Formats: sequence, structure tokens, C-alpha cells
Amino acid sequence: MVELTRRDFGGLMAAGAAALATKPAFAQGANISFMSFSFAEDPNRPLVQKVLDDFKAQSGISVEAVGSAWGDVQKNLLLRQRSRTLPTTAQLSERWLPALATLPEIVDLDQAVGRAKLEAAIDPAVLAMGQVGGKTLAIPLITGSIGMVANKEVLDKAGVGVPKTLAEFRAALVAIRDKVPNSVPFAAVTKNPSAIPLDFMIMVWTHGGRIIDESGKVLVNSDAGRAAMAFMAGLMKDRLIAPELDRPDSRRLFAQGASGFYIDAPQARTFARSFSGKGEAADAFVLPIPTPVLKAGDTPRSIQWGHLVCAFKGPAMEGAGSPGVKWLEYLLSDAVQGGFAPALSALPVTKSAQKLPVVQNDPFFKAWAQATGVPLTNEIGIWSNGPELSTILSEEVQAALLGQKTSDAAVASMQTRMEASMAKRG
Amino acid sequence: MTMTSAEGTPAPPRMSAFARKGGLKAHERRVGRLFLLPALAAFALVILFPFLRALGVAFTRSDLQTPEPVFVGLANFRAILATPEILGAFVTTAVYVGLATAGTVVLGLGWALILNQSFRGRAVLRAVTLIPWVLPSTVTAFVWGWIFNSRFGVLNAALVGVGAIPHPTAWLSTTGGAMTAIVITKIWFSIPLFMSFFLAGLQSLDREQIDAARVDGASNFALLRDHILPHLRPVLLVVIVLGVIGNLQHFDTIFALTGGGPVRATSVLSIEVYRRAFDQWDLGMASALGLLWVATIMPAAYFYLRHLLKGA
Repeated sequence: MVELTRRDFGGLMAAGAAALATKPAFAQGANISFMSFSFAEDPNRPLVQKVLDDFKAQSGISVEAVGSAWGDVQKNLLLRQRSRTLPTTAQLSERWLPALATLPEIVDLDQAVGRAKLEAAIDPAVLAMGQVGGKTLAIPLITGSIGMVANKEVLDKAGVGVPKTLAEFRAALVAIRDKVPNSVPFAAVTKNPSAIPLDFMIMVWTHGGRIIDESGKVLVNSDAGRAAMAFMAGLMKDRLIAPELDRPDSRRLFAQGASGFYIDAPQARTFARSFSGKGEAADAFVLPIPTPVLKAGDTPRSIQWGHLVCAFKGPAMEGAGSPGVKWLEYLLSDAVQGGFAPALSALPVTKSAQKLPVVQNDPFFKAWAQATGVPLTNEIGIWSNGPELSTILSEEVQAALLGQKTSDAAVASMQTRMEASMAKRG
Repeated sequence: MTMTSAEGTPAPPRMSAFARKGGLKAHERRVGRLFLLPALAAFALVILFPFLRALGVAFTRSDLQTPEPVFVGLANFRAILATPEILGAFVTTAVYVGLATAGTVVLGLGWALILNQSFRGRAVLRAVTLIPWVLPSTVTAFVWGWIFNSRFGVLNAALVGVGAIPHPTAWLSTTGGAMTAIVITKIWFSIPLFMSFFLAGLQSLDREQIDAARVDGASNFALLRDHILPHLRPVLLVVIVLGVIGNLQHFDTIFALTGGGPVRATSVLSIEVYRRAFDQWDLGMASALGLLWVATIMPAAYFYLRHLLKGA
């Protein structure tokens, strides 16, 4: 047996410590990194890869893509912040920014890229998506709205037209349930705490109510809030919506002709193309429609939506010509905005790209804009305690849908819990 | 044999020039302690340091509004006591741990008794029984997720097929259904381990004692009650304590199957800590809850360690 002296042992320990202290080699290949949920989505990965490849060809700067599922991005960023391994840039949903704005590492892009440059390129209403407290903390990447989409083939099978009011909508759902076997007539999200608020918010607005106003006052426990909840609970009771559905499930059901309606961003078309297996032929059945209203003459409701890109402090973001700033500027170029955004079935954010023929001549964008009208700001996502508000709202909606609470009790509880959360926020 | 000198007095023992202070045993002990160092360092780095840090964070407000922790004393613990939703997690945990442990012990013992009999193909069946234990837990969760799926699940297909239910049921969307699903899943993949413990215990059971009892007319139940269970008592104790500890710690399949839902029906302490930390990013509350969670595990762990040390 080999006998180890104390000196040998000390040497081994030192060698081990040195090996542990050595920087990992995996990060040395890329100049900057980009955490992206689109990169983690099969249909969209090639689109992101093309942007990365084109940027490298143009600038010589390589960007390491870090795929992260949509629902895990905030969690991953928080964990990376704790372990001091934040990526250079990250793709965000617009409603996450107020919560992430509190991170001390987030870069003020008014300074890094230049406020004047951003305002010259992007319409103020779109740029506002990336602003918190008057500072631009993220650049908008793609924009649009969250509204309702109908599957024309399913509607035809059920023998119904596009519903205009909630009463017509309900009748259409009953027809689909009865005439399209194994379908979920309205693929509302009933499972994911991050996505349930969108469907419920549209329903509350459609009934003429609010969840939280601009001052932070919780208003959901109103006649309109209770009516919206009762409407959704009624849909569940009559098997017109289904439990256990997340947005990806809704997209698949819709694309495969097993659902007549669901709520989504204009990316609905891209997902339908991919999940139906029909490619662009799927465009024929993806029908953006105005969200049915309570009574004729009401305004159809939709939610402002977009993807943003934020940056975190580090050597790659220092100085006007730094690789990180070049990358952000490239994302606003016509090459990306005129290619990536329409390919995702979303509108570009820059004024110049919005005038490109590829956008102007796409009938889907026109139909989407006509259907969704003027979108309203997400009432939950604008608060820094948005994640907690989302959880509260989702739990109470689920409790009402699954019959654990009456609609009125669920809305009352939602009001009380949200008020407590807002009070804690200060 | 003692060495003596020419004068008849005992000669001093011959010492090697390389002899070590305190003798060989002391030297081996020192080397042994040195070999312990890497494990101790890993323990300190991976377990002790995070635990002490969590202990500190539990007394602070640390959330998105306050990225730099602020000391708040016992405020997080007071908030836990004042929040019915969180207190409900303790009840849910107790129900889950009780059902999963009891179910696994009963079925594991039953299966061990069957596999302890002599029959053709016993070796194959014993090997096959281990499969659920070998499967990665997320695979297990997805398998059972599909079985319970409301639209395409095997369970619904079978029940609708035989006319037991008119429409497919969303099992994972009802309070009872979701709890049943996570308990069944845990029992399913825990049975092999428990069965192995029981089977090992049964191997040392005196066959003659059983045969004699049978000759005396003892029924199967009497055999189990008066002979097998008393014999397995030490194994049973260890298995129950290990089961309680394991079920208190359990997270992955519950998270993959139900995510703690519907609403909070399956939100056991492990899920609640996760949701506080990574859904709501309230690390102060999550750490405080984590400490209470550890406190629930401590009695079982203490009992197990005491039993183990006594045995040693």
C-alpha cells in the first residue's frame, strides 16, 4: 500500500483546490451570452439561431445562447444573480420587467445605448414597455397584443360563426362541445399561475371591471369581477373549458383542431404552423377575432404584449462600442426586426421595420391589429410584487373553477389577499 | 516473547529511526482524520454553509423589493403563523406523509411476504419489482401523469370504457384526486426499497417456528401477528422512520405531477418552500419555512440515528 506523508496529502489538497479554483473552460468560447426562452421553444430555436449566426458574421462577436423555458426565466435570472453568473443579456416577457427592475445589476439602457437613439428608432408607446420609473431598462424586441384567436375549421365543423357577444360566444362553445368530439371548446389556461391571470384579466375587463388600478388599489371584488368569475366557473361546469390546461396545451389543442378558441399573442400563427404539421397552410384556419363583448357596442379587450431584452452589468456592457451594446443595437436593426419578428408572427418594434413590405403586406398582422384594437396594460405585471399577485389570482380562479369556492367567495378572497400583498409591498 | 540482556535485565525495545510519535495506531488515526477532511469540506460547503446561511436569511426580509436582506427578527415566523394558506401546508404534509408511509409499509410488507414464498419465476419477479425504484423520479411522475391525464389517460379510458364514469375525470384537478395520485405514485416507486428491507428481515425468520405454528393450527393472520411482525419489529421501525423522513423531504414527483395544486391541495412543505422562494421570490419567508420544515424532520432523524448508533 502506498503510504501518504502529510506533505503528500497537503500537496494533493492544494492540487484539488487549484483545480476547483480554475475558471471553467466552457465560457471561454463566447464573447457574450443571451438567455432566451424563444431559443428553448422548438419552433423558434432556428429563428434565434439565425439571428446569432448573422450577428457573428456581421460583427465577429459570438453570442452564447442559453435556452430557458418561458416559465423558468425569472427563476434562473434570480438564481444567477445570487451566484453572480448573470448572462450579458436576457429575453423577457414585458410583464416581468417591473419585478426584475429591482436587481442592482440591470443596466440603464438610456446610458448604455442612448435614450435619443432609442426614441429615434422606437415609437414611445412601444418603448414604454421597456421602461420602469422613467428609465429604459430593456429594449423591446417584438410587440403585439394578447387577444382571442378562433379556429375557422372548428367553427365550420360546429356550424357557428364568429361570436360577437359573450352570449353568442357561449352558444358557440356549446355547439363545438356537442359537434366536435373530444374537443375543449375554449382552451382557457386553468393550470399555470403565470398564464391564468391573462385569461381572467380579459374576462374582468370584458365585464367592465378592473383588477388593480394605476394607484395600486385592488378593485377586483366588484359586480364585474364577480360576474367574470361566475362566467368562467359556468364554462367549467358545462365542460366548455377544461382543467389542467397550460398555454402550450392550448396551442396544441388549437393547432390540432381540438379547440375552437383560445387566448394568445400573435405568435399563435407560428405555433399553429408548427403544431398542426401543416406549415403555412395552417394560416387558413388561424383567425384573430375581437374578444366577444358583454353587450353590442362595447370595446373588445386585449392586453399589451411584447418581448424585451435587458442587459446586466459586466465588461461586455461597458462603453458605447462594447459587444453587449452592439448586440442590442443589432437586435433593433431592420435585419432582425424585419426577419425575426414577422417569422414569430409578431410586429417589429422599430418604426423603420414596421414600414417594411414583409410587415405591411402580411394580412395576418392587419387582421390581428383590427381584431385586438387598442390593447390595455397588464394590471398585474406592472407591479414589482407581480409574481405574488399572479399566484394569488391563479389560486382563487382555480378554486372557483374547480368548485372549491363559490365565485363570490373566491373574488372576495382574491381582493383580501391582493390588498395584503400590496400593503406589504409598501 | 520478552527479550533479555546478557545481565538478565529486560532490554529496551528496539525503536526504528522512523518510528512515529504515539505509535502506529496514533499515526493511522491522524491519517484517517486527514482522509476525512475532503468529506468534511464537502459537507461544510454543500450542507452546513447553505443551512447556516438559510438560518440567517430566515430572520431577514429578503425579496425582490429588498434585494439586500434586512433583519426583521421573528417577523417571518409570525407571518407564517398568521397565514392560513401556509399553515395548511403543514396539514397537507401530515396527510401525505401518513398516507404514503402507511401505504408503502403495508404494501411493501405484503409484497415481501409474497416474494418470500417459493414459486417458479420468483427471481425474475424480484428483479422486475425493482424497476420502479430504478426509474428516474421525473420519468415516474410523467408515467403517472399520463395515467391520470384528464383527456388521454389510461385510467379514464378504462373507467369510461367499462361505464363506471360518463365523462373523463380530471383526477389531478380535484383535491382528493391529486392527493391520491401523488400518494399512489410515491407508494409505487417506494415499494421496492421497503420490500427489500422486509425481505431481508424475512430471510432470517426461523422456518421451523412457522412450521410448528402451522402444525398448531395457526391461521395466516395469526402467523403474521404473532410471529412475523414481532420478528420484523426492528426492520419495521427503521423502515417507518426512513419512510417518514423520505416522505417529509419528498419534492420531485409531486412538483412534476401537480406542482402543489390544484390550488394548494398537494402543496406539502417542500413545495411551499419552493413556491415561496422561486414563484414569489420571498427568500426570507422561504428560509423561515424551510427551518420549520427541517424541524419537522428532526425528531424522525434523531430517532433513526439513535437506533442506528445503538445497533452499532
